[in-house]
Amino acid sequence: MSESTNNSPIRCIVVTPEETVLDAGADFVALPLYDGEIGIGRHHSPMIGRLGYGELRLKSGKENQCYYVDGGFVQVVDNVISVLTNRALKAAAVDTVAASEQLAEALTRRVGGEEALAIRDRLIAQSRAQLRVGMNAK
Amino acid sequence: MANPRELDKRRKSVRNIRKITRTMELIATARFKKAMDRAAAATAYTDRITQLVSDLTKTGLQVSHPLLEQRERTDRAVLLVLTANRGLCGGFNGNLLRAALERWQHLRAEVPQCRLEISGKRGISGFKFRGYAPDQSYTHFEDKPTFAEVELIANRYLDEYAVGAIDRLDVVYMKYESVSRQSVSVETLLPLGSIGDSASSADSSTGGPQYDFLPSPESILEEVVPTSFKVKLFKCFLDSAVSEQIARMVAMKGATENAGELIKSLSMQYNRARQGRITSELMDLIGGVEALK
Repeated sequence: MSESTNNSPIRCIVVTPEETVLDAGADFVALPLYDGEIGIGRHHSPMIGRLGYGELRLKSGKENQCYYVDGGFVQVVDNVISVLTNRALKAAAVDTVAASEQLAEALTRRVGGEEALAIRDRLIAQSRAQLRVGMNAK
Repeated sequence: MANPRELDKRRKSVRNIRKITRTMELIATARFKKAMDRAAAATAYTDRITQLVSDLTKTGLQVSHPLLEQRERTDRAVLLVLTANRGLCGGFNGNLLRAALERWQHLRAEVPQCRLEISGKRGISGFKFRGYAPDQSYTHFEDKPTFAEVELIANRYLDEYAVGAIDRLDVVYMKYESVSRQSVSVETLLPLGSIGDSASSADSSTGGPQYDFLPSPESILEEVVPTSFKVKLFKCFLDSAVSEQIARMVAMKGATENAGELIKSLSMQYNRARQGRITSELMDLIGGVEALK
């Protein structure tokens, strides 16, 4: 492991299959894991984790940046956080109207079978997370 | 001797055509650059997925997943053919169609139930001409396929594969190797076979960092495999888009050059014809003057 000084910021890279959304330094990064939020500071131990739907927050100095991430993985090693996700949006760009429509549709959907249930749960979690992130940004 | 006016007319029309092909070449070049950037961005993602998989395998985890395993019997197969929506791109569509037809006939001989899915108007009409109707066709993929669009298709395949509605998925597309080289490629995407090149990287270095896995390596692998399939399919679409633009660029460049040469030869003929006419008129005049003497 490389010995970096205490002052060096963490590097946070967010990539989607279409583009590299973010490649920036930060002092602190909060990520939505599959079962709750995780905060990552300097010299975090190497980790690979599964992401859920939710808010990615970057704090550098007094500046805060918020993104919405749509599941995926995170890899932390040597003060570099790589986030692999299907979709990443600036929190302000989240379409809350579409999300609430999706939520309403998913809540009223009648389903049978385990597969369909899992899909519905996923849709509900996804739209709720989008709503939460979108509302917070406004 | 040809009529100079006719020749001039032809020359004008060739000039107009050259203008059009030249513009198409420029457009294709611009689109190719954009498509190329997108493909490069996707590579960043695939590289990281591969890295992640190799880190996973270093933990000594047995890589097993339903998507990776070969099925004993293949009863239902799907052939997905990626072609272009437009023509005027040289041998791009023709080569794809030829390879796709061959694979389609093979598949039909081997597998009892086959489904044909085609993306691109050219492929659809090409198969129709040969008497095959696609079970599903897509025409909304242009030079910028988005991940969301591809994911829809990928999810459908994954679901169908999981419930046993399909046992195999083959994709025929134009693989991008370099700017000057693209080749038709027929790949079996389902079952996946392997994710990344896990076998080669597993024994390369064991001294890497010890990762914490949240929640567990198995659970992460369960997620990685479908993601890896989706990205692979997306890469096929991206490659196809890039290759199409390159093919069009090259074809239009050739067309522009040919038009230039045609104009040159037409100009020469025209000048000759004009000069010939002047000469014959002069001869007539001189002849007339001689006759008056």
